Amino acid sequence: MTLALDPITLSVLSAALAGIAEEMGAVLIRSSYSSNIKERRDCSAALFDAAGRLVAQAEHIPVHLGAMPEAVAAVMQQEPRPGDVFVVNDPYSGGTHLPDITLVSPCSTEEGEVIAYAVTRAHHSDVGGMRPGSMPSDSREVFQEGLIIPPVRLVQGGRELQEVLSLILANVRTPDLRRGDLRAQMAANSVGERRLRELVAKRSLETVRAAFDEVIAYAERRSRAVIGAIEEGVYPATDFMEGDGVTEDDIPISVAVTIAGDHMTFDFAGTSPAVPGNVNCPLAVTRSACYFALRVLLPDDVPTNLGAYAPLRIEAPQKSLVNARPPSAVVAGNVETSQRIADTVLMALAQAVDLPAQGQGTMNNVVMGGAGWTYYETIGGGQGASSAGDGPSGVHVGMSNTLNTPVEALELEFPLRVERQQLARGSGGAGKHRGGDGIERSVRVLQDATLSLLTDRRRRGPQGLRGGQAGDPGANRVNGAEVPAKVDLELNAEDEVTIVTPGGGGWGPE
Amino acid sequence: MLRIGVDVGGTFTDLVALVDGRIVTAKVPTTADQSEGVIAALEAAGIGPVKGATVAHGSTVATNALLERKGARTALVTTEGFRDVLEIGRQNRQSLYDLTRNRPPPLVPRELRFTVLERMVPEGELTPLDDNSLKAAVEAVAAADVEAVAVCLLFSYLHPEHEAQVGAALRHALPAAHVSLSSGVLPEFREYERFSTTAADAYLGPKLGGYLRRLVRRCEERGVPAPLMMQSSGGVVDVATAAGRAASFVLSGPAAGVVGAAEIARRSSFSDVLSFDMGGTSTDVAPIMAGEPGTTTEATIAGVPIKLPMADVHTVGAGGGSIAWVDEGNALHVGPRSAGADPGPASYGKGGKDPTVTDANLVLGYLKDGATLGGDIKLDRSAAHEAIGELAAHLGLDPVEAAQGIVDVANAEMARALRIISVERGLDPRSFGLVAFGGAGPLHACALAEELDMEAVLVPEAGGVLSALGLAIADIRRDYVSPLLAEVESLTPSWLEAAFEAMEASAAADLPDPEFRRRADLRYRGQSFELTIDAGPVEELAPGFHDAHERRYGYSMANEAVELVALRVIATVPTPPLEMAGPAPAQKRTATARSARFGGDWTEARVLARDAMAPGDEVTGPAILEMQESTAVIHPSWGGRIDDHGTLVLRRR
Repeated sequence: MTLALDPITLSVLSAALAGIAEEMGAVLIRSSYSSNIKERRDCSAALFDAAGRLVAQAEHIPVHLGAMPEAVAAVMQQEPRPGDVFVVNDPYSGGTHLPDITLVSPCSTEEGEVIAYAVTRAHHSDVGGMRPGSMPSDSREVFQEGLIIPPVRLVQGGRELQEVLSLILANVRTPDLRRGDLRAQMAANSVGERRLRELVAKRSLETVRAAFDEVIAYAERRSRAVIGAIEEGVYPATDFMEGDGVTEDDIPISVAVTIAGDHMTFDFAGTSPAVPGNVNCPLAVTRSACYFALRVLLPDDVPTNLGAYAPLRIEAPQKSLVNARPPSAVVAGNVETSQRIADTVLMALAQAVDLPAQGQGTMNNVVMGGAGWTYYETIGGGQGASSAGDGPSGVHVGMSNTLNTPVEALELEFPLRVERQQLARGSGGAGKHRGGDGIERSVRVLQDATLSLLTDRRRRGPQGLRGGQAGDPGANRVNGAEVPAKVDLELNAEDEVTIVTPGGGGWGPE
Repeated sequence: MLRIGVDVGGTFTDLVALVDGRIVTAKVPTTADQSEGVIAALEAAGIGPVKGATVAHGSTVATNALLERKGARTALVTTEGFRDVLEIGRQNRQSLYDLTRNRPPPLVPRELRFTVLERMVPEGELTPLDDNSLKAAVEAVAAADVEAVAVCLLFSYLHPEHEAQVGAALRHALPAAHVSLSSGVLPEFREYERFSTTAADAYLGPKLGGYLRRLVRRCEERGVPAPLMMQSSGGVVDVATAAGRAASFVLSGPAAGVVGAAEIARRSSFSDVLSFDMGGTSTDVAPIMAGEPGTTTEATIAGVPIKLPMADVHTVGAGGGSIAWVDEGNALHVGPRSAGADPGPASYGKGGKDPTVTDANLVLGYLKDGATLGGDIKLDRSAAHEAIGELAAHLGLDPVEAAQGIVDVANAEMARALRIISVERGLDPRSFGLVAFGGAGPLHACALAEELDMEAVLVPEAGGVLSALGLAIADIRRDYVSPLLAEVESLTPSWLEAAFEAMEASAAADLPDPEFRRRADLRYRGQSFELTIDAGPVEELAPGFHDAHERRYGYSMANEAVELVALRVIATVPTPPLEMAGPAPAQKRTATARSARFGGDWTEARVLARDAMAPGDEVTGPAILEMQESTAVIHPSWGGRIDDHGTLVLRRR
């Protein structure tokens, strides 16, 4: 039975549900241990209903957008009960890449009926595997990338399962940080459950359930209204990943965007098969990138829930780069290929919609590590220019929006020295409106260390639009000598690593 | 002893004077040069030449200069290789999905950012300050025709020597320029936030300095002592100190309101309250704990992070004048567009056609049809009905239901704001009272208290001039911080005592007979965020931190090592507590009644005039209390009495 809600109750409850997700996110950020979550905010929080539908999400970075539902679906197959907390990171069963660990807590009424799920996802800066930081550029199988956690209980009936936690902590390089961060995720989930109970007490279970239905239906109406206004047609586009860490060969991603009435299809037929390296994407990652592209079309105030994505259908060929299967390595799919999928879809849509030129299209993942320490950073670059003006400089674009680690925090914590961190002037593409500039950042290691780079757009700059020029491609150097886009290296003390990130594409003829 | 507070708001400049415990108030229009309005307010209150008085002043000069980007032409000198720190910020974009939205431009543009060759690292000097590069930078700054310079070098919070050298060279070459050193403005780690705060300090310094000079001159002419200035933290300082600390004044106005609310609560024996100041276009909420305004060091004002202690005021863009509208997905929204004062809500009859929160309150019977609002405005209920009627038709509701909806949606916004400053800070609103003021605060307070399960609502008599009251009673305050990084376990009592005493000695040189409050910023080792707690003996630091962590985040880790990040001293020169005579007994008048809507039903509510009530008088909901500058709505399950201080204290029955 469904209870129709009037527009007022809808607005009031929509704010309340979004507020719960936001509070969960705030608790997670504030109480987490590691800089990666607290300083860089590489995490998200969400509420799902009992059917596993996304109801509200406080996303801090878009790459978590589409992947949370998979985690809840995977947990729902494990007969979750009140008082349980599940942990999962398996990219082929609810995860995206191994460092993103998701905690799913069933939320129940006082009587013990599961009515919703509180979910947090955070990027943990080490989950074991072949390299410190668990972001190897040279993995060939997912098994090398770290500990794989299928959906299992971390807490059962309110009791923490020490054996499970011990197993996880025994497989990671920084167990204290992991324990603290997992605690923070649990604290955030329990805040979500508590707030939901309070809402039910105040508004009745029936009303809250009706609100779940209505906020989803509302977002779907808004989404369909936007899609319905786009000119019908098929809009194709192809873009490339520059190598998979094994070879430097271009890897094509093709999409055909079909707009028909108020729904749309993204068909990735023609995309490369899965590759031997680790730039493959499980479907959850592809979905996140597609949701991002759709979300860019929607006004900012459309709530983030399942309804917003209901009008979108995704076709991704099995065992392709964008729908990989075990045991394909996937760690860079989440952080690099996701960017290119979004770029490609947006390039297709730009034929029908006024969109910006391409942004840097990479997260410039840098992992350094040595005895007892692991440092992970992603670096902003140029955003594409648009009809509205120049592209912003030195920002994260697309699927990421993490903060940088302050130099003064970094040098206190790690044996590193930042020699330079400034904008790469003039790297944005020319045009009527200029693309944003990339960043040039040089870091010296003060002791021997390993380096993993997962970067892209080192050969081809981000494309301009409507006559604008491409932005400059990025560059990676060690002691001034170019190194590949995706590489693992042993560094000696005093070596200097320089990353120059790409500029954004220009818009319109100069 | 005469104590005077003058608060400059967007429309009015308010004055409260406490003459032998009695309140005198005045209200005059705000002037372009705010110091003229200050004098006009003194004139209006009949305050002439006077000795031995204390005047405290809250000004929006710094706030407005930042919001409108009308500060000084400012240069920045920074470490070679880090010229763009202000521009890159924390590298996050403004909006996740609106890819065209750019960040607000930095206060110092690239062409005015210069570098010197030097480098400090955590351990000390790595690269000495290069004389040639310093000379070149100073020449470049001199050629750039700037009024102010911010000096921001890496790790200067630990090792300020290079900044001091650069500052001295600049002051020598440009004696007229305002120079701010980051190690002086905010000696704390995280370069972007420190540089940003310092740039704001330099950018605002000349503007605030000029204003203070005019203000002092005008006060002298009138024979009134130079005012003390309200800082964002809720304490006041003398003008000489203020001129050198401009970034400390960006929340001067709102902080005064919170101090006023804290004082109202204290007098009525409430120590934990949330202040709720709902005006025409926006609403400020803030937590007050143990009688003191909560402060934060994480504020971003007009896109500029300013990490100085500030009253923890959260502002939402919704107030009485906010316009209600329906989006294409058929959801009702209130704000952020506002009808403002002109044309104002539809019911003002000045040409406004859009339905506002005020119109909804009128339709629901909370506001009086035909009531006059200062001057020529007369509330017209039929106009409100008409404006809401159109929206109602769109929603498929009758106008009264739509009006209820507007109030409910506005309340949902307010409740969210109150949750942000309570539950997100680890505070449980159920144990807090709600101090409601501003033109629209008392209208919405009971409904909000119900939504948040709060037990008490306080409606002060002086709600219209609470900020000015806060100024009149504010303590003199200065904040001192000393960055350190040490494991708490390794600290000795004598070391801690010596560190605090050093800070207190410098405070004692700045202020007459200050009182000290010792605080410590602590975190678990490896965490990158701190909690500030009151610092007692060294052995109580870690347990105190565990408790605070538990309260705020719901867990603590008793076995983890605790790190000290900074010591703080809050030095205050307290203003003697306020002894106020009770309000004069009023003439009793018969209550009237009117129909108002509560919980979906129309009920006859008693209508009382505040002027006709005296301490001890009781009120039982449903009732409406009409005050000079606002109206309090007392819901059916609420009731209370006017206490000895003139504050209406309502409780859930």
